[in-house]
Amino acid sequence: MSEPFALPAELNIYSALETRDALLAWVAEQTTKSKDSLEISAKNVAEVDGAGLQLLAALTNMDQSWRLVDVSDAFSDACQTMGVTQWLDKRALKSVAGV
Amino acid sequence: MGNSNDADLDFIAQAMPAFISEAAEQIEAIETLLLELEEQPENRELLDSLFRCAHTVKGSAGIFGLNRVVEFTHHVETLLDKMRDGDIALNPQISTLLLQCNDQIKFLVDTAADESADTAEQKDTRADLVVRLRSLTEGEVVVPAETAVVAGKSDSGDGGLKVWTISARFGPDTFRNGMDPLSIARYLATIGSVKSIRCGTDSVPPLMNLNPESCYLSFFMELETATNREEIEGAFSFVIDDCELDVVAPETPDQKMARAIEEIPETPRLGDMLVQVGAVSQDKLAQVLSTQQHTPGMPSVAKAKIGDLLESQAGVAPEVVAAALGKQQKIRESSPSEERYIRVQADRLDAVINLLGELVIAGAGATLLARETRQGGLVEANLHMNSLIEEIRNGTLGLRMVPVGETFSRFRRVVRDTASSLGKEVNFEIVGGDAELDKSMVEKIADPLMHLVRNSLDHGLEPPQERTAAGKPPAGRLVLSARHETGAILIRIEDDGRGINRERVLQRAWNRGLIEQGVVPSDDTINMMIFEPGFSTAEQVTNLSGRGVGMDVVRRNIEALRGTIRLNSNPGKGLQVDIRLPLTLAIIDGFLVGVGKSKFVLPLESVVEVIESGGQSLRVDSTGRHCVELRGQVLPVVRLRTLYSVESNLPNRVSVVVVNSPKGKYGIEVEVLLGQNQTVIKPLGRLFKTLRGISGSSILGSGEVALILDVNTLAELVTDSEPSQAVS
Repeated sequence: MSEPFALPAELNIYSALETRDALLAWVAEQTTKSKDSLEISAKNVAEVDGAGLQLLAALTNMDQSWRLVDVSDAFSDACQTMGVTQWLDKRALKSVAGV
Repeated sequence: MGNSNDADLDFIAQAMPAFISEAAEQIEAIETLLLELEEQPENRELLDSLFRCAHTVKGSAGIFGLNRVVEFTHHVETLLDKMRDGDIALNPQISTLLLQCNDQIKFLVDTAADESADTAEQKDTRADLVVRLRSLTEGEVVVPAETAVVAGKSDSGDGGLKVWTISARFGPDTFRNGMDPLSIARYLATIGSVKSIRCGTDSVPPLMNLNPESCYLSFFMELETATNREEIEGAFSFVIDDCELDVVAPETPDQKMARAIEEIPETPRLGDMLVQVGAVSQDKLAQVLSTQQHTPGMPSVAKAKIGDLLESQAGVAPEVVAAALGKQQKIRESSPSEERYIRVQADRLDAVINLLGELVIAGAGATLLARETRQGGLVEANLHMNSLIEEIRNGTLGLRMVPVGETFSRFRRVVRDTASSLGKEVNFEIVGGDAELDKSMVEKIADPLMHLVRNSLDHGLEPPQERTAAGKPPAGRLVLSARHETGAILIRIEDDGRGINRERVLQRAWNRGLIEQGVVPSDDTINMMIFEPGFSTAEQVTNLSGRGVGMDVVRRNIEALRGTIRLNSNPGKGLQVDIRLPLTLAIIDGFLVGVGKSKFVLPLESVVEVIESGGQSLRVDSTGRHCVELRGQVLPVVRLRTLYSVESNLPNRVSVVVVNSPKGKYGIEVEVLLGQNQTVIKPLGRLFKTLRGISGSSILGSGEVALILDVNTLAELVTDSEPSQAVS
């Protein structure tokens, strides 16, 4: 298993185009190597907006299975605010949310 | 990436002036609303609009990254929010605090582009305001939320905690417009508690087809909150244009249906509407409709009563029918009469008006030539064109007209602050604020008016004890009024203070050498002395040192607008300042007359009638004044030929144009009457500024120059008791 894709610190509209291209290239590369589920790390994400989350929604809609391996508080927070908790690890959800 | 950032910056730089001017309007509105709210603290609508204004300022400042504005306004908004919840009631202290905060917001917006203007002093003031705001808002937080809710419920019945369902589908340009569904969701979480949220991602295209700068998101949220629909929808106010938003309140099925009707975009037929929301089936509707048509002898008016039929025969709830009827009515009313504004740059409008002036002159020239050809068709076509030009002229000038009330209401704050700093009580009234005046005039008149209002407060109105001693009510009265008068607008500032102290004015005039020692001129002349330059410096009778504008400047400003100022002082009882201004600076309807080879234009509105009179036979004084008898009354007349030393052969019979002026009727003796004429006013050169009785010039269709007579100043020449000095 290769390294997970590391989402940038600024996962927002300003970097959306770059991140999309990087992610797309990475996905293409990974799928030629193995059939495993892709791993994406949101460890470094400090800022995130709707456009950033939308990228991951677009990835989901590629019928490509993927999962988050590591999330920052900011990212987890944003996912919960926006109601896209299905991506989050159940454990991570509990530890951060406490709701 | 870098490029798009630059483009953003460019865009922001371009849009900034528009933001600042819009924010200035909002800030002005906040001030007006606050002052109105002081008078009617129970008025919920005012409070709501106040909140909206603050919210708009904050929101748009956010777009431009003006963090100082956003941070500060946020605190203000929090306080206003508490007030809307009924947790905090408006009192004079809070009102003053909010006014100060508004000043601070204005300062922050004005200096948005200039960080250095934000001095340590301003920062201190701001920090202080924030502390005071927070002590108000956070002091109330300890009150358990339940009590607030209960209070809300008992007040209005809809203030309690309710679970709203909000579904929003954002438009593709949401991100490009600088908006973010995520931050809207975050904001909503602050006005209530989010019971559930689900993000709709189904319409997001797969990554390879995704345009990452377009938005495809939607969300569905259940929000428990005590706030109202308006506030929830307010969260979407910046995306509402391209966002499908549906906010549903928990409600009874009938209410729900009634609201569904509200949201039907354009469905004018009652039956269809009810079918659409499922209040009645299509079959049932058809049945009811046929009953309606087949009822024999039913007059056509009664056919409108389908609502009743549906109620009685199809069992539709009255509430639902009422909503549908209301919607129909609304569609009828709102579509044509919806108020819409276009923001136009003032100089573009000025350019059009200038061109229009040229068009009027050209039109007059064409008419003249057409008459000379004596071709009926051509003359008629020209007349038609001229009447159209006149309509355009009126319409275009109308575009520049704004109600003076806007300027007047700005004074409320000044009066309030000045009076309280002077320890005086004042009832300030505004009368006739809807009288319209040329926009540029409104702007130029604001400063002189401000000065006069302050002057009344400072020197006119006495402190409460003094007033009581003089047998007046302790609170002074200050009235600012505006109304139309023949071709002019009359703005009057009236107070019931002490009036002008004529002895002191006279003494000072003697001391200053403005008039010869010992000479006592008429009361009027003494009153007008306060407008002399010598009186405008500090520590005088009309002391307003430090304000920057003296009374002489006030008069000069008003005269520069072709206006006049007049004082009517009643010592001990009050002072009345009358300012007369022409309605517009550009074009008037004129009455063209001739003396010798010279042409003069009189404002048509002031002309009453024209009479004949003997020419050579009448004797006149050095300034051309004499009298004629008009229906048993003496009419003072001025002979233009003598007044302005026009060279001509005095004919045997001359015409006297009788005009109305604030000083009464008088006659102007001329030799030829040339009829009505649209007159484009051109200013006189500086050389002629001192020429009394002439307010401007105009170019006639023939290319000749005509002088425009100023009926009001001419009246002074005519009725002056002493023979005036040579005027030209």
